[in-house]
Parts: sequence; C-alpha cells; structure tokens
Amino acid sequence: MKKIQIKQWLLKPVYMMAALVVFAACNKDVPGPTPIAPAPIVGSSIATIINSDPNYSLLKAAVTKAGLVLILADSTRNLTLFAPDDAAFAASGVSADVINALPAAQLAAILSYHLVPERLPAAAIGTVFPNRQTPSFINPAPSVSALLRLTNFPSANNGAWLNNIPIKAVDRAASNGWIHTVAGLVMPPQRFVWDRIDTDPGLTYLKAAIKRADVGSPSASSLEGALKNIGANVTVFAPTDAAMQMLLTGLIYQQLVGQGMPPGDALAAAQQAASTPDIIATLPVETMRGIVVYHLFGPGLPGRRAFTNNFSPSPTFYPTVLNSVLADHPGVLIQVSFGPNTPFVTAATVKGVGNAAAANFLIDPRPEPTGSSDQHYLNGVLHKIDQVLLPQ
Amino acid sequence: MRRIANLLATFVLVLSSTVLFAQTTSISGKVRNSSGLNLGSLSVTIKGTTLGTTTDESGNFRLDVPSSVQFPFTLVVSGVGAVTQEFTVRSATDVIDIEILATATLSDEIVVSATRTQTRALESPVTIERVGLSTIRTAPSANYYDIVGNVKGVDLVTSSLTFKTVTTRGFAGSGNTRFTQIMDGMDNQAPGLNFSVGSVIGLSELDVESMELLPGASSALYGPGGMNGTLLIASKNPFKHEGLSFQSKVGIMHTDGRYRNPSPYHNYNFRFAKKISEKFAFKVTAEFIHAQDWLADDQRNYIRPSASNGLTVGRIAPGTRDTDPNFNAPNSYGDETTADIRGVLTGIGAQAPFLQPFINSINANGPINVSRSGYREAELVDPNTINFKLGGSLNYRIKPDLELIAAGYWGNGNTVYTGSDRYSLKDLRMGQYKLELNSRNWGLRAYTTQEDAGQSYNLTAAARIFNEKWKPTVTFNAAGEPTPQTTDWLIQYAQSYLANKLTGMEDIDAHNGARVVADQGRPLPGSPEFKRIYDQVRRTPISEGGALFLDKTSLYAVEGQYNLAEYTKKFADVLIGGNFRRFVLNSQGTLFIDTAGTIPINEWGAYIQASRHIGKVTLNVSGRYDKNENFKGRLTPRVTAVIEVARNNNIRVSYQTAYRFPSTQQQYINLVVGGGEILIGGLPVFHKIYEFDKYPPYDLPVQPGQTPKTSTFSTFKPESVQSIEVGYKALLDNERLLVDVYGYLGEYTNFIVRRAVGQNTPRGTRVLSIPVNSTAKVKTYGAGFSGEYRFGRGYFGSLNASTDVLQDIPEGFVAFFNAPRYRYNVGVGNYGMGKDKRISFSTALRWQDAFFYESDFTSGTVPAFFSLDAQVMYKFPAIKSLIGIGANNLLNQYYVTALGNPSIGGLYYVRFAYNIL
Repeated sequence: MKKIQIKQWLLKPVYMMAALVVFAACNKDVPGPTPIAPAPIVGSSIATIINSDPNYSLLKAAVTKAGLVLILADSTRNLTLFAPDDAAFAASGVSADVINALPAAQLAAILSYHLVPERLPAAAIGTVFPNRQTPSFINPAPSVSALLRLTNFPSANNGAWLNNIPIKAVDRAASNGWIHTVAGLVMPPQRFVWDRIDTDPGLTYLKAAIKRADVGSPSASSLEGALKNIGANVTVFAPTDAAMQMLLTGLIYQQLVGQGMPPGDALAAAQQAASTPDIIATLPVETMRGIVVYHLFGPGLPGRRAFTNNFSPSPTFYPTVLNSVLADHPGVLIQVSFGPNTPFVTAATVKGVGNAAAANFLIDPRPEPTGSSDQHYLNGVLHKIDQVLLPQ
Repeated sequence: MRRIANLLATFVLVLSSTVLFAQTTSISGKVRNSSGLNLGSLSVTIKGTTLGTTTDESGNFRLDVPSSVQFPFTLVVSGVGAVTQEFTVRSATDVIDIEILATATLSDEIVVSATRTQTRALESPVTIERVGLSTIRTAPSANYYDIVGNVKGVDLVTSSLTFKTVTTRGFAGSGNTRFTQIMDGMDNQAPGLNFSVGSVIGLSELDVESMELLPGASSALYGPGGMNGTLLIASKNPFKHEGLSFQSKVGIMHTDGRYRNPSPYHNYNFRFAKKISEKFAFKVTAEFIHAQDWLADDQRNYIRPSASNGLTVGRIAPGTRDTDPNFNAPNSYGDETTADIRGVLTGIGAQAPFLQPFINSINANGPINVSRSGYREAELVDPNTINFKLGGSLNYRIKPDLELIAAGYWGNGNTVYTGSDRYSLKDLRMGQYKLELNSRNWGLRAYTTQEDAGQSYNLTAAARIFNEKWKPTVTFNAAGEPTPQTTDWLIQYAQSYLANKLTGMEDIDAHNGARVVADQGRPLPGSPEFKRIYDQVRRTPISEGGALFLDKTSLYAVEGQYNLAEYTKKFADVLIGGNFRRFVLNSQGTLFIDTAGTIPINEWGAYIQASRHIGKVTLNVSGRYDKNENFKGRLTPRVTAVIEVARNNNIRVSYQTAYRFPSTQQQYINLVVGGGEILIGGLPVFHKIYEFDKYPPYDLPVQPGQTPKTSTFSTFKPESVQSIEVGYKALLDNERLLVDVYGYLGEYTNFIVRRAVGQNTPRGTRVLSIPVNSTAKVKTYGAGFSGEYRFGRGYFGSLNASTDVLQDIPEGFVAFFNAPRYRYNVGVGNYGMGKDKRISFSTALRWQDAFFYESDFTSGTVPAFFSLDAQVMYKFPAIKSLIGIGANNLLNQYYVTALGNPSIGGLYYVRFAYNIL
C-alpha cells in the first residue's frame, strides 16, 4: 500500500506539469535577418544568345578569343552589348581569318568598346542632341585611374546609332541586359583631337590659329589643353588650310585696300602674306579666339560630341563655345542630308552668322589620315569644312 | 545641504538623549497546529511594537519583553499559511499555548504599503500584491527579483541577466521612470541614470522579508513618480531574524550553445544577524552573482526614424548586411553611422565629366546611403556579468518602541542596460545609506544614494567612434568642415563602388565589393588592434569625444511620518508626513549639461491621510503636495473605500491621482545618441543654450515639397494620471480559495514624450530630441483576476490573468505603452509532502501576448512567449538545510521581453540553503 501512495504523490505533480506545458506552444526566438532577394534571373545570358544565334558566329569567335565570355555569361551583371553580327563584321572588312590573326588584346579592346555596363533598352537612348554618353568597358589608362573609361554615344535621333554606325535591330532581351545589333564595328578612338590637328598637314592654319588664340591663357584653360584632355568632349569644325588662306587673303586684302594700296597689288600681297600660317601669329589674339571658339562644341558647355548623323536634316542652330561668352548668340546653322541608298549622311553644311554662304562638310568618314568627317578621337569628333565660320 | 546637516544633527541628539534602558522579562511559549502546518518561522510580535521573534521548527519561541511594555499585552502570531492569531499575555508566568489555524492562502497576510499602516491584505483599499518569505523560499527562480514577474499585471523587461525592470499597467521599458521602487525605505532609482537598480544593487535575497507591489497610481503616499505603480521591498530586521544563513544556486546556462557556449551560473547569498542584547542587533548580508550574460543578437535590418524618411517609429525591414548597403541591426553597433555617397560621386563626376551621365543615372541621381560596418554585441561586450552586493545594518533600541537603524547597501556590477541605446554598465557602483528612527507611531529617515557609473559606456557611441578612430568616414578639419581624403572610408567606398558599377556589377555586388575595399584592414574583434582602439574609446569621457560616462550623481533625502491616530481616533485615523529631496547632478558634461559644475535640484512634499470606519465601510482620504524648484507645486489626492460585503469579502473602490516631475534626465540631459540626434532636457535653459532664437527649430518629419514648420514649445510641466479602480477580494470555499479581481481606468495628462525637431545652424543641420508634454490625453484601462487555491495535503495552485489596453491615441502618437494585451500566470506546487513533508515543489508558467514594443532604441513586434519555471526541494530538518534543483525557462524556449534585448533561455540550477527559514 505504501508503494502506491508514493506513486500517487509522485505522479500528481507530473500530471500537473504536463497540463501546464500543454497550454503553451513553442516560443519564437528572434528571427534571423531576411535577405532582400535579388531580382529573379529571367532568360538567357548575352553569352548564351551570342553562342546560339548563327548570325553572331564571328562575334562568338571574337568574344571567345578575346576572353569576354565570362563577363557576358555573368547573369548578375547589368550590360548592354552593341553586337556586330556577321554582316557587320563583313561590312567592316573583318573576316574569320582577320579575327584569328588579330591579337586577343586588340580584339578585346574593340569588343569592349561595344559593351556598356548598364541596362540600356532602346527606350533609354535619347532622341535629342546632345547624345547620351555611356562608358564602355575600355579603360585607356588604368594606371592613371581605375575610373577612366572610353565612352560611346548611342543616339536614337535620325534612326538608331552608336557613334556614327547604324543600329540595325534593338531590344533583344537577355538575363543580364540588352543586345542591339550594329551594322558595323565601332572602332574605339586612340588619339586626342589635338593629335589630329597637330599632325594633319591640311590643318596647319587651324593649329596656328588655336596657338594664337591661346596666347596669354594658362595651359590648364587653353584650347589646346582642352583638345588634349581626356575629360573634354568636343566637336571641332576644322576649316582646311585652303579655307583659312581664303579668309586671311580676303582680310588682308581689305586691310591693304583700305590703306590705299591698288587692288591688284593688294591681292598679290595678301596672297603672299596668307601663303604661310605664320601670318596668324601677327593677328589679334582676341579675334583668333573669337573665330576658333566659334568652331567648337565643348568646353564650357555640356559635353557635345556630334557625329554628322546626330545633326538635324532641317536647318538648325547649334550653340558653340562662343555661347559660353555670348549667351544670346544664335550659334551655327547646320543641316545634313541622308542617303539616298545609304543610311549615312552624304552631305552636310554649316553656316556662321557672318558668312554669306554655308560651308560644306568634307564628307569622308574613313579612318584617318584619309577621312575628313566623323573623325572620332578620345575626346571628341572632328569634321573638316571648306570655309571659316564667321560669328558676325 | 545645510538643511540635511541640520536634520542629521537632530538624529544624533535624539540618539544621545535617550540612555535609559529598562530591565526585561522573558516569556516563552509554543504554537500548535493540528493540521500539519509548518510551525517554523512564524512571526510572533507584541502588538503595536516592532518587538518580536520567530518560532523554531517545533513552534517554540522565546521573547524578551522590556519593562516599558506593560502587561497585559497582545501577541500577534502570523506567518505563511497561517491565520493571524492574537493572544493576550496577562503576566510573565502565563502559559502561552497558541493554537494556530492553517489558512488556505496568503490571505491573512499583513500589508503595509497600501495605506502606510498595517492592514490585512484582504482589506486593502487598493490592489496590492504581496510576495512573502515563503513564496521567496519556494519560488522556482534563480533570482528573487524574477518572482515579481509572475505576479498578476506585472511586466518584466529583461535587459540582461541581472538587469530587470518591473512595470505594471503599461509603459514598460528598462529605466521606466513611471514606476517607483522603494528598497528598505529608500527610493532605489539611480539619480543620474534614472533607472531603478533593484535587480543589480538592492537587497540580497536572504535579506528580503517581503515585496509589496502596488499597481497603479500611488504617488499620493509615495511621492512623485509611482504613476504606474510602486514596488516596496522590505528587509529583515536583525532583531526578528537572527542567525547565520547561506544559500547557493549553482547552475548552467546556454545549454544548447545557441548564443554562447554552455557556461556556469553562480549565485551565493550570505546573511548573518545577531541580537547582541535587547538593545542592539546587527546584520551583514552579501550576494555574489557571476555568469555569462544572455546575449542580445537581433541582427535584423532596422529602419530608424529620420528627418528624411517620414517615420515616427522605427521598424524592422527585410535586409541583411549583404543585401542592404545601409543595413543597421538593433544589436549590431557602429552601423548607425550612415552617409550618402552621392556627394562623393558628384565630385568624381565633376573631375571626370565623361562619367557624369553614368553617375547621374545611378539610382536616378537620388541619395545612395551606406552604413559603416558594425560589430555585434557579442564582439563588443564582456560576457561576464558580475554582481556583488554588500549590505548591513546596526539596530539600536533606544526604547522598546523606538529603534534607531543605520543601514547601508552597496553594490557593484557589470551588466547591460537598454535605454535610448544599449549601455554596457561596467563596474557600476551604487550605495544607499540611511539613518532611521522608528517609533510605534512615527518615523524619521534620512538617506542618500551615491551613484558612480564606473566605466559604463554607450555601446552604440563606442562602436561608432571606434569606426571613426580606425578610419574616418569623412575627415573634418579643425573648423568642422568636411575635407575628404583618399584615405577616408566613404571616399574609398564611393570610388570602389563606382569602379564596380563600371564593370556592370549588380548594384548590391558593387556595394559589397566596395565595402570589402573600404573595410580592408578593419580590426577583427578581439585582436590587439581592436582592443587598443576600443579600450581607448570606452575609457575616454563623452565630453572628450569618447563613450565613457562620468556620472556621479547623488540624491539626499529626508522624510518623516507621524501617525496621529491616538489623538484623533475619535474622528479618524490620521497620518501625516513630509519629505525633502535634493539631487546633485554630476556627470562632468558626459550626460547632463553640467560642464560648468554640478547642478542641484530640490524638491519637497508633504502628505496627510485620514481613514475612518463607518459601519461596514472604511473610508480613506489622502492628499499630497509636492514642489520641485523647476516646476510648479502640485496636489495629488486619493480617496478610497473598502466595503465589507460579508466576512472576508471586500469590495474596494478608489480614485487616485499621481504625477511625477520630469526625471533628472528629462530636465537636464545633453547627450548625442545612436542615430546622431541630440537628446536635450526640457527646461527653458536649453532654448538659450541651443540658440532657439537665432536658429528656430522646425517640426519633423518635413514631408517632401513642404516648407518646414517652426516648432513651438509650451512650458514643460510634470505629467499626471488620474485613475479609478474597483476591486473585489474574497476568501471563499472554506477559506481555501482566495480570489482577487480588479478593473481600472487611467487618464494621463501632460504625458511626457520626446519630440524630434530639426535645426539649421551654420555648422549644419542637426536633430534635437526634446521632452515635451503631449497635448493628447492618453487613456488606458485594464483588468485582472487571480485565484489561489489550497487543494489540501500541501498542494496549492494559482492562476492569474490580466490585460492592459491603451485607447484613443491620436494618429502618429508614440506612447511607448509597451504592454501585452493579455498575459497569464499559472502555478502549482506543494509546500510539503512525502515523509515528514520534506519534499516541496513549485512550478510557474507565464504566457504573454505579442505586442508592438516602442522605444528610443528600437521598435517592433515582440512575439508572444511563455516561460516555465520549476523547482523541487528536499529538506534536512536536522541540519536546517535544504537542497533542490530548479530551472528557469525549463524548456529552454528563447524569448525576448523587448526588441533589441537579449534572448533569454533556460537556466538550470542546484540549490543548497542553510537556515533560510
């Protein structure tokens, strides 16, 4: 009997405790943090698309050789590839053999210029001038700064363009961005605008004019300095030496005639004086500066790099650097015409306020030294024109 | 000070003028019981005096009666589980044989705090909860302070193992200034830090005689403060409780290794009291606790309210360090520093115009806020929590009914406290010392509280400053202007982030890569480099750019009470009293605006209470007037009635008011906290110091597109509460069931809240947090029920449930109400069973509902939780010892009591106690 008693008093509390525990469920301890889920990956990567689309066979080969597959296959990146298809390679004269022959580094540089580190659907590419400026994957001087980038200039004005190369097809969606197909290779620039002016035998007067305009200016704020600065973003309307000679001859002739020299002598003397750019060093600095900046888009204004295809087919005034001093100046009047039978600009004119007639662009987009329009450099574009633009 | 000196001199005079001692007579007797009641430890006192003794295990007692006590007199025998019994002793030779009846419950206990006179708990005019000796002895708690948490209507906020804050009727939070704790007659609030330190520096467990809890407005009797309740902890008088006692609770915590490795828990208690003669007795007490503290490790993302995000209360949000660059977790410190890298990117864009369009396209040219990398609490705070308490008293009976007591309680501890930030209270020292004269009908007490924050520091500030010392976010020059350097964290971060973005990296990857670069060489927790910088920061005072408090604020108080009943009893029982308090703020500019020297604050008050029986009704009217030098005086009345509807069946009705002066911090604080905002005091002097006339502050948040509205401030006033309470307490079912029910309504006016305002100064925009009186009336109501039942054979059970509700709060108003809507406690146990009733056990289960916790530190939902405590003990009467095993949170179900506070798990202990009855 005693045993049973002990059992009873032992069991009673056990029952009670059990009853208590039934009351309660488990506690929730402090939960761990909830990660913010990354956006879901939808679709194939750019690499997958390139590798599987037969139209991109040359691009596939180039990308593979250049070692860019890993980047294009990385689904966590935000990219836009301006992708040359096989036709584009052909249009640029690049065959499979050329790809095989090119060093991988050079190939990588060319392809990297087609790649932008952000998602740019066609809708994000602006239709108004100035162009959107987007960094590419090329750092021209990593030792200077990790943040240096060559930029490219997509535009949806007058059709779709990357710099001066037409975009054939847009908005192929990939998991890591967009693919737009370009009609040709877009070559990365390698020199400064100044380098062209400095070395082009047909631009010696312009070079002298710029040097004259810079007299008295510290090199940091000089025009030459700007044209050599990677941070600048300019368009230069470069009057040829002939155009400069013509202007100078006229100016000197007028001056001599005004001084009473007979017109025949005056013309000969003027032609003689204008026959070398040295004469420019004798002209007033202010006058030279006024003329030179009227030929420039860029410093002092938002970066304005204009390829011919960016200009309007109807006559339109564009502000020049002169507007940074004379805000109300109308600028230069530019008109371009496209085609026929080609998407490119075939003729273009630019007229200064003081000119009787418009100057012509010397349309020839081939690479330097031959080319004379849409000459693309690290910090700008140069177009040769056949008259000096007069601001008044 | 002079006034205090005078009063102390009075004490000495009283002491030296009373030199007559009379002869004593000895009486002895026996207490008997036929139903197996435990006869040990019953209290035997001479009615109307403080003279008394306790019975031994067999019920025998012996008491010396001084000649000043005239025969016949009445002995009062009371104790746990016994019906209080009176016995008239006519002469010294009387045979004293007292038959005592076991009561079902604690019902017949005598409480003091409800009316400041001895009253049967059953007849208390306001709700009162008493935790007596037997409960303390049998409760399944590693620390006696936890027992209060199982009383109905009580919320216990646990900031750390040894830092717990008791609250009733809402507005919980550590450092709750609306709830007063009185320890052995002294207000236990740290005068500078403004929290009650009861669980750190107070009585040691073996010296606690009782805890009485008065929920609700109670300042009519206990002075300003006590808006929501008052807890009174009484110590054992060495005349009544003699002998050597010892207790150890040795246990283990963190058994599952979830937050820390399994580690021991040590709690040792010692008390020695000796009655040298009928005139003189003394006691010495000590307690030592050592353990690895609970760990606060809430690593969820927390969005702080700021001037720009329009939030008035912070909130938990998705995000981790790896998925949110501006991540900031409640228990990760240093990540409160946040900065916008947009400014740096714009600077880069100006230098590299070809990147400007790209830079502008990031986040639509909006702000890109990033936070510094933080350190977890476990990496910053010493896990060792140590608490040492030392106390004692010298008791001298000038006359049989006049006792002089000199007592001191001193404590020293390491703990963690949650206020506007988390604070590591390191080597915190606080002492309370008193001189007290107690007569049959009057009492006089002078005491002082001396606080020393030791090496306490603000965790958030320490970690943020640590980060700046290691690597500045942005360098500022001597003139306070930002002068970014390429070695600055934010610059390195921004450059690296942009470089990463230029490779097409996903935004978060770009951020994480940038963090790796900016954090390169960041000292690892525990490394010598880390320790060197961190120690330097935490040991440098806040005023000198560190995180250390130099708080040595003190309080001096004198109070007296006189019971005029013997002169006024024809009309009513009248009680009068008064008090004077002087705070001396001394933080050397590290907490208060006391850079130029200490700031004194004086306050005084007086009260009167009259009670009268009219038939079955006892009416009690009391009023109290208080004045603080910085605020207008104020009267707080109280009216109560107890109606005896039947024997042991009482209905109580009360109208109470209470109010409190703004705390010393709400008056004079001047402190920069976590998010960078500046907490300032509410007194007008701050308007001058912060040049409100030159740079008018404006209301926050400023909604986008709106012009800021200039803030207006009305006179800063004390807050007050009016409350109406109805209750019913009864002993039913042959005195086996004690039932208590209450309901209350409370209305707060001039409720003190903090309000953030913005201010634009030449040195930038800053956010000031100013205490103001809310114009909104804050209403609360609630109810509670408790039942305690004796099953017989020593079994008992108890159940209580309570609710507190905040109502009608205006949109956007943050009240910091912080009370679960419902909570309940269930307990079962046995006082004595088995052979010779040697075994006892008790269990306690607490459950509380989920609620939204609001505080300056963090706000968010505290999930519902339960906690089960249990203890089994076995007595060895021959050696007056017991051993037991117990567990707090037996099932090791982690819970938090407030957001950002530690997760509390199971604590399992073995208990040994000698002579604790």
